[in-house]
Amino acid sequence: MKPWFKPMIVWLIPLAICLPFIPLVLWSLSDRWFYPALGPQTWGLRAWLYVFGSAGAQIIASLLQSILVATITAFTSVIIGTPAGRALGLYDFKGKDFISLLFMLPVIVPPLCVAMGLHLWFIRLSLAETYVGVILVHLTFCLPYSIFVMWGVFSNYNPDYEHQARSLGASSGQIVLKIILPFTMPGLIVAGLFSFLLSWSQYLSTLIIGGGRVTTLPIMLFALMASGDRPVAGAVSIIFVLPALIVLLFSARYLGGRSVVGVR
Amino acid sequence: MAKKRSSIIICIMILTILITGILGLARFGAAKEPTWPDILQNAKGQTVDWFMWGGFPHTNNFVNDYVAPRVYDLYAIRLRQVPVKDISEVVSKLLVEKQAGKNKNGKIDLMWINGENFRTAKKNNLLYGPFADLLPNQKLVNWNLASVRNDFGEPVEGMESPWGSAQVVMIYDTVRIPSPPQTMQALIKWIRTHPGRFTYPAPPDFTGSVFVRHIFYHVDGNADFWQQQYDENRFTESAHKTYQLLKELAPFLWRRGTTYPESPSRLAHLFADGEIDFAISYHPAEASKAINDGLYPNSVRTFVFKEGTIANTHFVAIPFNASDTEGAMVIANFLLSPEAQFKKADPQIWGDFPAIDPNRLDADWKQQFERLDRGVATLPEHILQKHQLPEPPSHILIQLEKGWEKHVLKKR
Repeated sequence: MKPWFKPMIVWLIPLAICLPFIPLVLWSLSDRWFYPALGPQTWGLRAWLYVFGSAGAQIIASLLQSILVATITAFTSVIIGTPAGRALGLYDFKGKDFISLLFMLPVIVPPLCVAMGLHLWFIRLSLAETYVGVILVHLTFCLPYSIFVMWGVFSNYNPDYEHQARSLGASSGQIVLKIILPFTMPGLIVAGLFSFLLSWSQYLSTLIIGGGRVTTLPIMLFALMASGDRPVAGAVSIIFVLPALIVLLFSARYLGGRSVVGVR
Repeated sequence: MAKKRSSIIICIMILTILITGILGLARFGAAKEPTWPDILQNAKGQTVDWFMWGGFPHTNNFVNDYVAPRVYDLYAIRLRQVPVKDISEVVSKLLVEKQAGKNKNGKIDLMWINGENFRTAKKNNLLYGPFADLLPNQKLVNWNLASVRNDFGEPVEGMESPWGSAQVVMIYDTVRIPSPPQTMQALIKWIRTHPGRFTYPAPPDFTGSVFVRHIFYHVDGNADFWQQQYDENRFTESAHKTYQLLKELAPFLWRRGTTYPESPSRLAHLFADGEIDFAISYHPAEASKAINDGLYPNSVRTFVFKEGTIANTHFVAIPFNASDTEGAMVIANFLLSPEAQFKKADPQIWGDFPAIDPNRLDADWKQQFERLDRGVATLPEHILQKHQLPEPPSHILIQLEKGWEKHVLKKR
């Protein structure tokens, strides 16, 4: 490998991630920008004044709700997904294929059907229009991902380490903390990250189950993103993507070095 | 994707209709007619959740910065806007709530609705009941207008209250096209002589669909015919001619008609970027607004066809299980007040056309409406009103949308 190859890749990847944001930033700061000009002809803060001015209180409130819902969903998804992934990865049992298909179902069935079908039950169970209900419906979409990520992690995981630790007198708690957690940490982070981002971008299920009482960021912003007002759409997209990007960069730190594959 | 989703919604609707039909319907109402002072009294302290399309910053500002503080000051009602991408999602939600027997304490108190969604809601008993006649400001509305009395051919019957009106206009840039074609006939000719410079959004998009209805009226020759009656043979013939004409035009469209923009905002972008020479809008003041916001150059203007363009009215409705019905009625009434209608018509605020008839106002307000500067690219109201065509009933609309997809898009 040529000596310049690795640094080039290291720089190309973040560049590829950042490039699409440049037009967003330009649009959000433009006042007039007509074809065929390469950049905005006049600059202005109209879009940002809208986002932070009249819509500001709504957007900040929904930002907090989004963070709350996505964080709880991500943690719950990993906590439920890990034992399932471990069972699928380490053991062979009757009906394994059928069960894994069941786990995949929420991804295969169109989200609108899942959300509307669950809505009926959630109304009967008084879960509709509650945070618990919204987190539960997000979990139906997140769980398949965290289960399948953890399945992959555990199929490359050697449980002999646990046996060794136990024979040396470690308690179950110590095994979890000192063996399982360190070995599966990158996988856990990936599963959590997937779940967080999926929950972060849920629109339809939040609208139907949350019913306007739970107003996450997508509820506030998606209508504006599709509107014809490019500066506002640009500003709003940045507001939407930025927190998710921060979470991604933060967790990327843990993904380097040891890969998701785990240790044999 | 949108196609798939809509077919799913239709399936669910049919199921719901069957199930609700079997279970039998508990109709709302029956209680004695409340009086307006009672309603005002009960509305005090209520929080009204208004579900509405939230894709237009100016509409959002009008609701959050003007209506909300005003109704709080005047009536002690808190107004909470819930912006949605498409109100049909909210109608689907109501369908499920109906099915689950959730007949009270619903979260939706008021929704911005018209056309197909109103029809679906009305047919499935998703609406609170006739309330429009209770509102004092209803006297300012001209209910004799076909586009107010019938919402896309569906009798309103007081189930929703109007709050604005709209009419299709063609948008062009005087620098590029000094004298635009004034009739549909001339536009068709223009398209043939200027290949690649025209297109329309693909139905079932709202704006694309209304353009197809203009073509339908053009080949049929009589827009008013469809208001009172339905003639199967005549429809089949005119619809066939519509598809035939659009198929012939396709090679002269943007990208030779192999693809169509998916929304009016995409169409507006193509127009602003100079890829096409006309945009179509269902909002007469949109071009002025876009000039103000720097989205269109100052030389942009609008026109309507000599034979007229399609107009409609948009409404607010209250769902069957709304928790704060009185508050919702007070807001519906406030939206019809001369004050709110005037504010809404100001192009600096929004520029939406009034739902009330200025002739029914006192001299003072009437003069204010007449003096209002509607923006440089907006046609004067008397010109718009002289060139109005009614929307056909929504079953015609749906058939044309399906036919367009089959014959024009897929060329069968």
